[in-house]
Amino acid sequence: MTGRAVTLGLAFVLLSGCDGVQSMLEPRGPHAARIATLWWVMLAVCTVVLLIACGLVLAAVFRGRGSDETELSLKQQRSLVIAGGVVAPVLVLLGFLVYSVKISQAMIAEPANALRIEIVGHQWWWQVSYPGEGRTDLNVTTANEIHIPVGRPVSIELRSRDVIHSFWAPNLHGKTDVIPGRKTHTWIQADAPGTWRGQCAEYCGLQHAHMAFLVIAEAPEAFYAWMNAQREPAPEPQSPSAVRGREIFLNGPCMMCHTVRGTLAESTYGPDLTHVASRRTLAAATISNTRGHRAGWVLDPQVIKPGTQMPPMNLSNEDLHAVLDYLETLR
Amino acid sequence: MSANSNPNIIDVSGLSPFNHGSQAPLWWGFIGMIIIESTVIATLIASYLYLKMGSISWPPAGTDAPDLLLPTINTVVLLASSVSMHWADSSIERGQQRQLTYGLIISILLAMVFLAVKAYEYSHLDYDWSTHSYGSIVWGISIFHATHVLSLVLKTVFVLYLELRGYFNRQRRLGVTVNGMYWHFVVAVWVPLYLVLYWSPRIL
Amino acid sequence: MQTSDANAATIETTGTSEDVLDRTWQSPPGFPGWFLHVNHRSIGKRFIATAFLFLLIGGVEALVMRLQLSRPGNTLLSPDLYNQFFTMHGTTMMFFFAVPVMEGFAIYLTPLMIGARDMAFPRLNAFGYYVYLIAGVALYISFFLGMAPDAGWFAYVPLSTKEYSPGMRMDVWATMITFIELSALVAAVELIVTILKLRAPGMSLHRMPLFIWAILVVSFMIMFAMPPVMVASLMLAIDRTAGTHFFNVAAGGDALLWQHLFWFFGHPEVYIIFLPAMGMLSAVIITFSRRRVFGYTPLVLALVATGFIGFGLWVHHMYTAGLPQLGSSFFTAASMIIAIPSGTQIFCWIATLWGSRPDFRPPLLFALGFFGIFILGGLTGVMIASVPFDLQVHDTFFIVAHFHYVLIGGAVFPLLGATFYWFPKITGRMMSDRAGHWSFWLAFTGFNLAFFPMHQLGMIGMPRRVYTYIDGLGWNGLNLLATVGAFVFAAGIVVFVLDALISMRSGPIAGRNPWNADTLEWSTSSPPPNYNFREIPVIEGRYALWDATGANPHVVGLRDDRREVLVTTVLDAHPQCISILPGPSPWPLAMAASVSVAFIGMLWSMWWVPVGFALTFVAMIGWHWPRHHVRRPPWEEKERPED
Repeated sequence: MTGRAVTLGLAFVLLSGCDGVQSMLEPRGPHAARIATLWWVMLAVCTVVLLIACGLVLAAVFRGRGSDETELSLKQQRSLVIAGGVVAPVLVLLGFLVYSVKISQAMIAEPANALRIEIVGHQWWWQVSYPGEGRTDLNVTTANEIHIPVGRPVSIELRSRDVIHSFWAPNLHGKTDVIPGRKTHTWIQADAPGTWRGQCAEYCGLQHAHMAFLVIAEAPEAFYAWMNAQREPAPEPQSPSAVRGREIFLNGPCMMCHTVRGTLAESTYGPDLTHVASRRTLAAATISNTRGHRAGWVLDPQVIKPGTQMPPMNLSNEDLHAVLDYLETLR
Repeated sequence: MSANSNPNIIDVSGLSPFNHGSQAPLWWGFIGMIIIESTVIATLIASYLYLKMGSISWPPAGTDAPDLLLPTINTVVLLASSVSMHWADSSIERGQQRQLTYGLIISILLAMVFLAVKAYEYSHLDYDWSTHSYGSIVWGISIFHATHVLSLVLKTVFVLYLELRGYFNRQRRLGVTVNGMYWHFVVAVWVPLYLVLYWSPRIL
Repeated sequence: MQTSDANAATIETTGTSEDVLDRTWQSPPGFPGWFLHVNHRSIGKRFIATAFLFLLIGGVEALVMRLQLSRPGNTLLSPDLYNQFFTMHGTTMMFFFAVPVMEGFAIYLTPLMIGARDMAFPRLNAFGYYVYLIAGVALYISFFLGMAPDAGWFAYVPLSTKEYSPGMRMDVWATMITFIELSALVAAVELIVTILKLRAPGMSLHRMPLFIWAILVVSFMIMFAMPPVMVASLMLAIDRTAGTHFFNVAAGGDALLWQHLFWFFGHPEVYIIFLPAMGMLSAVIITFSRRRVFGYTPLVLALVATGFIGFGLWVHHMYTAGLPQLGSSFFTAASMIIAIPSGTQIFCWIATLWGSRPDFRPPLLFALGFFGIFILGGLTGVMIASVPFDLQVHDTFFIVAHFHYVLIGGAVFPLLGATFYWFPKITGRMMSDRAGHWSFWLAFTGFNLAFFPMHQLGMIGMPRRVYTYIDGLGWNGLNLLATVGAFVFAAGIVVFVLDALISMRSGPIAGRNPWNADTLEWSTSSPPPNYNFREIPVIEGRYALWDATGANPHVVGLRDDRREVLVTTVLDAHPQCISILPGPSPWPLAMAASVSVAFIGMLWSMWWVPVGFALTFVAMIGWHWPRHHVRRPPWEEKERPED
């Protein structure tokens, strides 16, 4: 049941092309591009080394069969060992070392006009906030989905609420751990619009496998439009069903963990749901954000993410639809 | 060794089964043990310094740096026990069993004084291992070392018992030697530990 | 104090001196007698057999994991079970298979290769085995009780602390890890002292076989690498049970302290596993190329260099933890430099083999398999030494691929070849060449099918330690291929193990030296007699049997009626004195049981620790109690102690 629900629900219809959407080999930003180039260079050199070394091994054991000359002279042997075992490796390694250090330096140097984001890792979801340049009314908080403007550096401050996680969006950059008691930092940049998937890359417990997120790079206008929409508090529900849904939400267990700005629900234990319907996925980029999936998730999250912190809900059919109607208003 | 007319034979029948010092495998075994425990001590010191470097204040606010007087006296007591143990060891090298006995007894008593003073010192601390990380590492190191001093006492009591039964003499004294070697080791590691525990909060 | 000498007064001195010698060195037969064995061959065989059992168990765990991962959204294993499986797989392979199997071969072969009748501290050997056995059994009992550790073999904090891993699972892990490292440390001390002090006359340091050099270097590494992880796991254990705060961030603890301590051990650990295999390879290559090795000195220096440099790499496991870049670059350099001694070794072996027209029998095949697989793994190792590249592939299946290439290529393949090679010496029978060929090709093919795709998987985004993955990321086919490959690899291992078990009973009888090898163990019978060598030889050259002139120089004067070994000087192996070894004894088991009381008891309450301490003290006294020498014994009368 779990398997089917997860597998069936996972067609990422909103992603343009499934393959390569979480791949370091499809770089979409300057860091990932540099690293990918490094990879191809190292692959080429190492392949040559592997072929030479294996060739020598095979030559060593097959040579001399049916021929008279069977042993290298001492001088030849010594040359082979020094050339192959010392000189060649030193040169190759020195090259790799210098190249790596230069890339590291380029990746650390953060440009000045970066957009600032704060990300907090939780078991098993990502809290994303855009500090409102000192004004709390400009603050945007969402979960598991990061929007960034194309072509602009984004400075990310990373913290953990509980255990060590690791923030990794391979199309854009290498990973950075989030460690409780410390602040770590990284910066990324997307050079073209698109949507990519990232995933937690440090074992963090039962649902480490389902702790992913989306990075959506948009043209600046679209990005600011999104930001403005996200800043708004939740709209008043119009339909009676949605009003009833809000009532269930606020009187039930939901508000004990979730925030919906504009209501009394202010808990930060779980993800901020003020604009949950605007997100493309649920459950940390595990399932797509359709009404059906929302229903399954609300009724019993343990089926999709066994061990997750969110408990199952005992809702009648009408109540469930009321809640779903309410959640749909949270765009 | 009997003279060989046959150069292909090495006759070892005259070699002694009583091994002294670095001749003896057991001596080397104790060196191995000392190396291992030195690594443990180094790890503990490194952990202490790592936790210290990661803290805003060390000891943490609300906890004082440890007193110096009693531990310093205690350190001298422990160092003295090494002197008496050395005396014991060199006595039996000369075959002097009575001096060996006295040396062992004095060392045991000094070590017990060390443990008693340490117990007193720690019972008057206002924090323990569960108060904060400082408490954990300080108590951890102290309990680790004190347990070793206790082991020294117990081992040496056994050696003393054997000595009183006439077991050791000029030939058969490897047991005293390795016991002494380990004794000196446990005393010697106390010096860096003492400096780290009692002086580093003040100096570093 | 002289070691106690249970046998001297009771050995029957009738019969030929060979009969007396045999009786002196005999181990008690039968079931209760099994617990009293101290003979190194007995203990060595136990380590090897137990380790192979753990290999099979760890392998089954891997196969189940691979089945779970063979398709997206699979439900064979729940997340909880999967997490236990991968933790047990890693813990079993690293702690309970890889190091103990190498120790087992070392314990078995070292006295035979250096011309001694046993090791320096036979009871300590037995103690080390019982500790290993008890730790392994305790760990697996927890698995069967459904409370196996589940925070990974590396147990990062804070996930492994009580707050995020409630229950006793990680308590079991922390205590059992501390416990089993005791076994490794004991073996290390034992091996160093034996190698330094018990070599036959004439075997100066620069005439030691390369396998012995490897074991010597590894034993030193163990002494420096194991204590940090013991300290760390003990700190974790008391954080969990006694309320300390080493790793509790809220009270001044530090999450990275764990990583530093663990990896300071963890990196040398892989070289501890890998270097004995290098020693095995040297032995096999020398024998099969029928030549003296090219570059003995560089090979020794390479072993030593690897041992040293191996301690300077650990931060490369922590590149993503936000440490300063400049420091990390130092570790890049060190992680790359270590390729050089490995490269040197490889080229020395190539030079040795060049044109030698070796016989392609299984030991050589497995050695050749090593070259292909290990070199590839070493090259990916150089790649991930680079910080930027590692930032992408760290904690992905690329790393899983890398370390399986270096560990299976670098340790398991040489181990299989070495097992085939030394099997006749240990059991007196040969394994089957045909089965050996089958197992090699199945293992080689299966291994590459299983692990090569994982490089790609890591680079297209698949992290490690995930119990499942979603559809649509392009991971499905590669995962399925890896699963198929894993089963093919497993088939190769199964064929090998079955062949060993069958050949033990009905393989062709082996002579003394079926391979025409050069090292000393091949001069005695297969299997060796209880006393290893009828006469302790005097070594005439670096290749003991090949350099022997036929004059057969040897030692006389060791007594037959008690367990005497010749102690020689460290550098040049000149005879120095005699050591009288103890015979079969119950104290190793008693001591292991007492120490277990502390370690296993502390899972429930810290009060068991002082209880265990007291029991251990009692066992220590029993162990060291001199049997016959409390009053001056008869043979001492001729000495005149001055008193």
